[in-house]
Amino acid sequence: MQQTISFVLDGKIQTLTFNETFGPTTTVLNFLRKSAEHKGVKEGCAEGDCGACTVVIGELNTDNKITYKAMDSCLVFLPMIHGKQLITVENLKQQKGVTEVLHPVQQEMVDCNGSQCGYCTPGIIMSMFSLYKNENNPAKESIDDALTGNLCRCTGYKPIIEATAKACVNNGEDHFVRNEKQIVELLSQIKDSTNSIGINTATQKYYQPKTKAEAFEMRNKMQDSVLVGGATDVALRVTKRHEVLKEIIDLSNIEELKKCTITDYVIKFGAGMSLEEVRKISRNELSALHETLSVFGSRQIRTLATFGGNLGSGSPIGDTLPILMAYDAEIKLQGVDGDRVVKMNNFILGYRQTDRKPNEIITSIIINKPSTNTIVKFYKVSKRKDLDISTVSAGFSVTLDKNKVSGITLAYGGMAATTKRATEAEVFLMANEWTRENIEQAMPMIEKAFTPISDARSGAEFRSVVAKNLLMKFWSETSNQK
Amino acid sequence: MNIPHDSATKHVSGQSVYIDDILINSQLLVGRVVYSKHAHAKITKLDLEAAKKFHGVHAVLSYKDIPGHNQMGPVVHDEVCLAVGIVECIGQAIVLIAAETEEIAIAAEKLITIEYEPLEAILDIRTAIEKNTLLGPVRTMQRGDADAALKKTKHIITGELETGAQEHWYLETQSCVCVPGEQQEIIAYSSTQHPSETQAIIAEVLGVGKNEIVVETRRMGGAFGGKETQGNWTAAWSALLCHATKRPVKIRLFRDDDQIMTGKRHPYLIRYEVGFDDAGKIDAMKVEQNADGGYATDLSLAILERAMLHADNSYYIPNILVTGRAYKTNHPSNTAYRGFGGPQGMAGMETIIDRIARTLKKDAADIRKLNFYGIDKDNITHYGQEVELNRLHVLYDKLINTSEYYARRKAVNEFNVKNEFYKKGLALTPVKFGISFTTSFLNQAGALVNIYKDGTILVNHGGTEMGQGLNTKILQIAAAELGVSNAKIKVNATNTSKVPNTSATAASAGTDLNGMAVKNAIDTLKERITGLFAKEFSKSSPENPSLQENIAIENDLIFDRKNPDRKIPFDEAMNVCNFNQVSLSATGFYKTPNIGWDKATGWGKPFNYFAFGMCVSEVMVDTLTGFYKNLRTDILHDVGESINHGIDKGQIEGAYIQGVGWCTTEEVKWNDKGHLLNHSPDTYKIPSVQDIPEDFRVEIMQGIPNPNAIRKSKAVGEPPFMHAFATWLAIKDAISAVGDHKHEPKFKLPATNEVILLSIEELKKRH
Ligand SMILES: Cc1cc2nc3c(=O)[nH]c(=O)nc-3n(C[C@H](O)[C@H](O)[C@H](O)COP(=O)(O)OP(=O)(O)OC[C@H]3O[C@@H](n4cnc5c(N)ncnc54)[C@H](O)[C@@H]3O)c2cc1C
Ligand code: FES
Ligand code: FES
Repeated sequence: MQQTISFVLDGKIQTLTFNETFGPTTTVLNFLRKSAEHKGVKEGCAEGDCGACTVVIGELNTDNKITYKAMDSCLVFLPMIHGKQLITVENLKQQKGVTEVLHPVQQEMVDCNGSQCGYCTPGIIMSMFSLYKNENNPAKESIDDALTGNLCRCTGYKPIIEATAKACVNNGEDHFVRNEKQIVELLSQIKDSTNSIGINTATQKYYQPKTKAEAFEMRNKMQDSVLVGGATDVALRVTKRHEVLKEIIDLSNIEELKKCTITDYVIKFGAGMSLEEVRKISRNELSALHETLSVFGSRQIRTLATFGGNLGSGSPIGDTLPILMAYDAEIKLQGVDGDRVVKMNNFILGYRQTDRKPNEIITSIIINKPSTNTIVKFYKVSKRKDLDISTVSAGFSVTLDKNKVSGITLAYGGMAATTKRATEAEVFLMANEWTRENIEQAMPMIEKAFTPISDARSGAEFRSVVAKNLLMKFWSETSNQK
Repeated sequence: MNIPHDSATKHVSGQSVYIDDILINSQLLVGRVVYSKHAHAKITKLDLEAAKKFHGVHAVLSYKDIPGHNQMGPVVHDEVCLAVGIVECIGQAIVLIAAETEEIAIAAEKLITIEYEPLEAILDIRTAIEKNTLLGPVRTMQRGDADAALKKTKHIITGELETGAQEHWYLETQSCVCVPGEQQEIIAYSSTQHPSETQAIIAEVLGVGKNEIVVETRRMGGAFGGKETQGNWTAAWSALLCHATKRPVKIRLFRDDDQIMTGKRHPYLIRYEVGFDDAGKIDAMKVEQNADGGYATDLSLAILERAMLHADNSYYIPNILVTGRAYKTNHPSNTAYRGFGGPQGMAGMETIIDRIARTLKKDAADIRKLNFYGIDKDNITHYGQEVELNRLHVLYDKLINTSEYYARRKAVNEFNVKNEFYKKGLALTPVKFGISFTTSFLNQAGALVNIYKDGTILVNHGGTEMGQGLNTKILQIAAAELGVSNAKIKVNATNTSKVPNTSATAASAGTDLNGMAVKNAIDTLKERITGLFAKEFSKSSPENPSLQENIAIENDLIFDRKNPDRKIPFDEAMNVCNFNQVSLSATGFYKTPNIGWDKATGWGKPFNYFAFGMCVSEVMVDTLTGFYKNLRTDILHDVGESINHGIDKGQIEGAYIQGVGWCTTEEVKWNDKGHLLNHSPDTYKIPSVQDIPEDFRVEIMQGIPNPNAIRKSKAVGEPPFMHAFATWLAIKDAISAVGDHKHEPKFKLPATNEVILLSIEELKKRH
């Protein structure tokens, strides 16, 4: 196993050995901020909520081209960028003699008055740059989505939206296109010489296997290790709680976990797929999952966060949990002892407790496409509509024969210590007419089913009222009532 | 003129330098602040020994190690720098650590033992009122006899409004680096809105003369009032550590620590009683404003004063009594925040108008118009100042048309009849905001303008750049006043050794005051330069001498208007000045004329002028979840003659959105022990890009120059913040539609989806 990591920065391969200054759980943000040349990247929160630290990661894809993705560098551990290109705000402009030529996204920001105090600006520029490289003439929704992960306290965003729309018109043409061949060569060079990574420092062991089989072996040997998917949860233990994670198995470099298979009836998502990928794939046939992920974190977060990671913590406010219950999805668990499939509805055992055995890893999520007479919907109520954690979330599905209920799931997040179904209401509605009268009778049962808590996000009463109202909302939307 | 922000290209390419980006040699130490975990407690034990011995730690300081005064209170000296025996809020600093790395500092903190004996804590304004924990004297402002008039009036409404705290959430947290010089000297690079006060506080805690301390501020990554006094803290703490270790020390607060430790916008509890006639014209009003000041005075009393001065917003109220009280509680000391009490005062007034309209079943916009200050009569405020150059009526007439207010009112009503689960709401609100520090002597500014022999110019002034574009406007003012191109001018980092004894950059007055001071310096330089060239130009033709009054500087050229062939390029001319022993450096000074008022009687002319604006906002509320959508917002705002259209528009849009945050999603909650629950952006939600109006129209009113400020412009930083009330009250209007506008909905500020939904539920029960 190799002890070092390599990535491309400023057009060159950089190879890092780990020591006192940089450990394997040092974030890319902290690495950059320690260098004199990369002070453009900013820390605004160290928890993925502000985007001031946004960088763009270039990944070598299967067509030997580079895919550009914006990420929050405060959540990325250094080994996670092994074999990738790290692009910072300093890399966008070009020096032509004594004059600096700004990148189109930068120039439009200047022309549209897109910066005031300027502290958010480098991060915003990087989100714009990522969009510039991926979409031409992006729709308003896409611009909004690309910028949701970047908070700006000064501008009111209007000029930033305008600048983004004006800039993203050149089919991604820029000096990165012109230099792509060279970067591809450097990245291939790293790739060809890469083994699985194993970093040992005085206080930490960090493993990044390349195959599932290796991962199962390691997990079996180190059952107390921390598994890492995208690290959007795990990194906070480091950046906010200053924990020293002793043993880490980082699954982010296992290609087998990022595969998706689609058949006529079933979509099987690899647990290592990013939620942004899952969002794209689910757009047509799993629209409720798509909706879930459209109000999940920000684009930067979803690019990092994995499907397996959202299930792995078993959090009662994990947004995919209730919707997977509504889809009656299955979770595949694997380890050295073999594999097994568990129904999502049986997967959660208690507060942050799942049916996964210590030596198992979640490897895929299997969802049957709903039948034509089944309606599945997801609702998320949070203080801010976007980039917020659910106060209450709900995954509902109803199967109707004529107007009679022949199947129903009402799964809630944020209402109890676990994602939990409103069983009494389900039983009542089952085999009954899907009418407003029946919904109104079921609503108090939902209220009764939970004793939610009051916390920073809301009071208990609000949670109770919302939970029952969401059923009415579901009914009104399934029966087209305004 | 519309030139970009003078740092724009640096911002977008990551080259603008903030405190944390300054390159300092490897001697730099990291400072860390150990703070109280109790809202009110006696410190029974403080053991620092183990931490002091920890490898890599260079200093661990408590109040005992402060060489000068242990004091940071900006106005009243009731704020210690490090706690002495007692702590009065969670987040109050007790101990400082300087260490070689952050990790070492964190580890050292764990070795410190602090034991507390908890005391009773006051954690909300109602308890503070009950216990009468006043921070200062009760203030009143009045005109006429409100009590008598209320007895005679036709309709009376009484009520209460709670407005919440607001976290500044500047992107750059509080930061300072102190670098030691010879002996006592320190240079502090500080993210502060008030370098002169930062300098004073550092000098006082160190017990040295102010001439030993230089404070420099290049730019802030946002401030919004949060660095007016509380930027001093990290400066004083890092100075203490720098002094103790003789090494450079940086303190940059981690986001959660910043949110926990620093003060916020003051929460207010406003109680009111108002009398009006059948038409909705107000006869009399009594308003009681109660502010949660936090544990120390800070600027609470000045903020209260401004809240009281804006209790009328834009309306003439013949009989009025405003009473203000600021109370001490065991929260961090609340502080300046964009609007400085104005928003709280005006929220009360706008609530009253909204309620009058609902009571009389009239459109609230009509009630507003009816009560606006008049042009020739009914134009004296409750503190005796005439509302001169009143723009309310022109703004109203224009906006009511361009926003298609009445047509949309009809459409909203129709929508609400047809829809059960979604309700729309619409509101128009005005802003009248007084410009000047209400502590009159603060209305002064200084400048130092240096011209170098190559014709380049370095402008120094006392204001600070926090994103508002002050330096850009100053650059434009300097270029226009001197007659040279923008490219020749650079505006320097604010530095107390260049311009001393300045006021905070606050009260929206940065450009007004510093622009005038820069103009004053430039006038002096022009006098010298034109004097010299009158003589120089005359040398060749003594029979027809050039007169100084005819010498002009325009477009980088110095010339004689009467004899245009007598000319010299500006650059060349500066060499000539130097050769002729003419000083090319001048200071400038400005104080706002004709203002002054009697704080004791609450009467006089506190403001140089008023800024005006108006906003119409339409929202849609989901009555099942409490979510709202900002469908369309139209703002028409008065900035006099805009010095920089792009910057002014940015201020208006940004202020409005920040106001919307305060009015909707930005909820600050504490638990029953005084712990802040929303201490990071995970749970404290400022507006994101998705929260701006779907249709957002912002227009600057043209053709209304302001004779009272530099280049006929107007201050713009704070006034547009209050346009958010249109959105806030549109939400209330939508809620009210659930009960067919027959009942007064429960409402407060912020109107989170929780407040909205529970108000709707309550209306449904009543309806
Ligand atoms: C700013 C921000 C916004 C967020 N918004 C949302 C939101 O809207 N909705 C929401 O639900 N969550 C949200 N989260 C939480 C988090 O992003 C998600 O839970 C995410 O899905 C975690 O995925 P990850 O791959 O990053 O997990 P990691 O941090 O890598 O891991 C999370 C947990 O799962 C375990 N794990 C990871 N992979 C596996 C695997 N294959 N098998 C078994 N265990 C595994 C890990 O050991 C760890 O305990 C947000 C987080 C941040 C920082
Ligand atoms: S620093 Fe805020 S998202 Fe990374
Ligand atoms: S420009 Fe200040 S935060 Fe965006």
